[in-house]
Amino acid sequence: MAGTSAVPDALRALIDALLDGDHAAALAETRRLRQAGLPAETIVTAGLETAMSRLDDKCTVESFNLLEIMLVGRAVSAVVRELYPEGLPRDDRRGTLVVATLEGDVHDLGKNIVKMVLIGKGYRVVDLGRDCPIDTLVAATAREGARGVLISGLISTIVPQVRRVRTALRAHGLDAVWVVAGGAALKQFAAAELDVDYVAENAFDGARYIERRLEGEVP
Amino acid sequence: MNGYERLLATIRGQAADRTPVAPQLFGHAAHLCNVSLRDYEQSGALMADCQLRMQAHYRSDAVFAFMDFCVESEALGSRVRFYDTQYPEIVDYVLPAQADAGALRLPDPMADGRLPEMLRGIAALRAGLGDRVLLTGCLLGPMTLAAQLYGIENALFLAADMPERYETALDFATACAIRYGQAQLAAGAHLVTVFDPAASPAVVPPAFFRQLLLPRLQRLLAALRRAGALATWLNIAGPTAPILASYPAAGADIATFDYEVSVAEACRLLPDSCLVGNLKALDFLDAHPERITLAARQLVDACRERGRFILSSGCEIPPESAPANIAALLAACDAGG
Repeated sequence: MAGTSAVPDALRALIDALLDGDHAAALAETRRLRQAGLPAETIVTAGLETAMSRLDDKCTVESFNLLEIMLVGRAVSAVVRELYPEGLPRDDRRGTLVVATLEGDVHDLGKNIVKMVLIGKGYRVVDLGRDCPIDTLVAATAREGARGVLISGLISTIVPQVRRVRTALRAHGLDAVWVVAGGAALKQFAAAELDVDYVAENAFDGARYIERRLEGEVP
Repeated sequence: MNGYERLLATIRGQAADRTPVAPQLFGHAAHLCNVSLRDYEQSGALMADCQLRMQAHYRSDAVFAFMDFCVESEALGSRVRFYDTQYPEIVDYVLPAQADAGALRLPDPMADGRLPEMLRGIAALRAGLGDRVLLTGCLLGPMTLAAQLYGIENALFLAADMPERYETALDFATACAIRYGQAQLAAGAHLVTVFDPAASPAVVPPAFFRQLLLPRLQRLLAALRRAGALATWLNIAGPTAPILASYPAAGADIATFDYEVSVAEACRLLPDSCLVGNLKALDFLDAHPERITLAARQLVDACRERGRFILSSGCEIPPESAPANIAALLAACDAGG
């Protein structure tokens, strides 16, 4: 976790604006920092990632609401677009993650929240949108060299689709790809019941699982 | 006692012959009758026929007159896409981001969208159920209807960016709910359940409930009571522990709580309310019936001394759920409660 003492003074105003969900102030502060010569990478690693880490600490299972996450996410997205108009560059240290809502589920709010959290934590995220066929998910995972796929599901009818993901990935030699499920419907199941690696209680919980996998804490 | 008498006694804190069961079965009625959700959602007569057949099959103590969460918004001008096996979605919200809801006209329940179909369905249900089974109408609460007017993301951004305009939307949604609820009661519903999932602490901070929703719920529930509702019922899914204690101040006699709140905590937070809950809805898909029976009996036992408890799920039982699991829920009370 990024501690307060490790944050350069120059970034404090940006971090405060991000945590306040004030996207206009965050954008203005980012432009000021860039004009002062601060590299984009520093703004991401010491600014965005610090803000997301603090939000992560605040958003426990008992205290997590969409509104607060959406406001911070909107501010983070504005800063990322300002710094990288063509999208975040590939980060070989962290790799790429794929997010999707599977075919038959047209709700994408949960998936959008996961995407915002992951981008805020510095991941490159490929968003396959909603109502995504499993074949498309598998093809994108292979094409992007993704290390994990995160599936959000709001409705119960999506459960049979989720149970097919692992098998479909294996059939294309993607055995090592992590599969994480979450969302109002899917979080009512155990991982074994869905044939996934992990069922996340919320977006931060899913991101923490990915971090543990990257750090080798989970075999 | 019949189901209506059993529920009424329980709501009023009087003795009943057993714990009443009111499973949240909406689209499952279509599934059970081999009807597509698309057809079920567009015909009040078909909705009523499916619900009556389902009630005869399971013998639940209450029936919910519910089509989907888009009915009110569609009546106000949103464009809806229907599906055969899942609930519809709004593809074009009536209000663009940051638009003023005050410019909208209150819907006419007798003329706009599918509201008249719903009212026809309620009348048919009441004709079929009489006073043997409790019939509850269903309404979107102010926060959820506001979300259905703008889309939830735009509605939440509006709440943060233009709070006064968001409150205008909540006031408009409250007025819509009062008018539609009055029409449901006039059509034959014994009472009306107010569903407001967008007010869940999973979506907005608990302060939103207390500061923005509570005064509007007070207006809504008081108006329903004046219009003849036998009781008032507030249904918000998710981790509602931070807001449950405010339900009596809202005027709610009956409170649904979801699996994310323990029965002990719900009893502690709402000592004088009638509680409804809180089986995990997704367990009805493919858990073993014995698991449903065990969980149901534990709930009934936990509330036996306090009374004022209605056995149900914490949110909707999925349409495609296994009938054996729903039958197990009903049987749990026949055998043990």
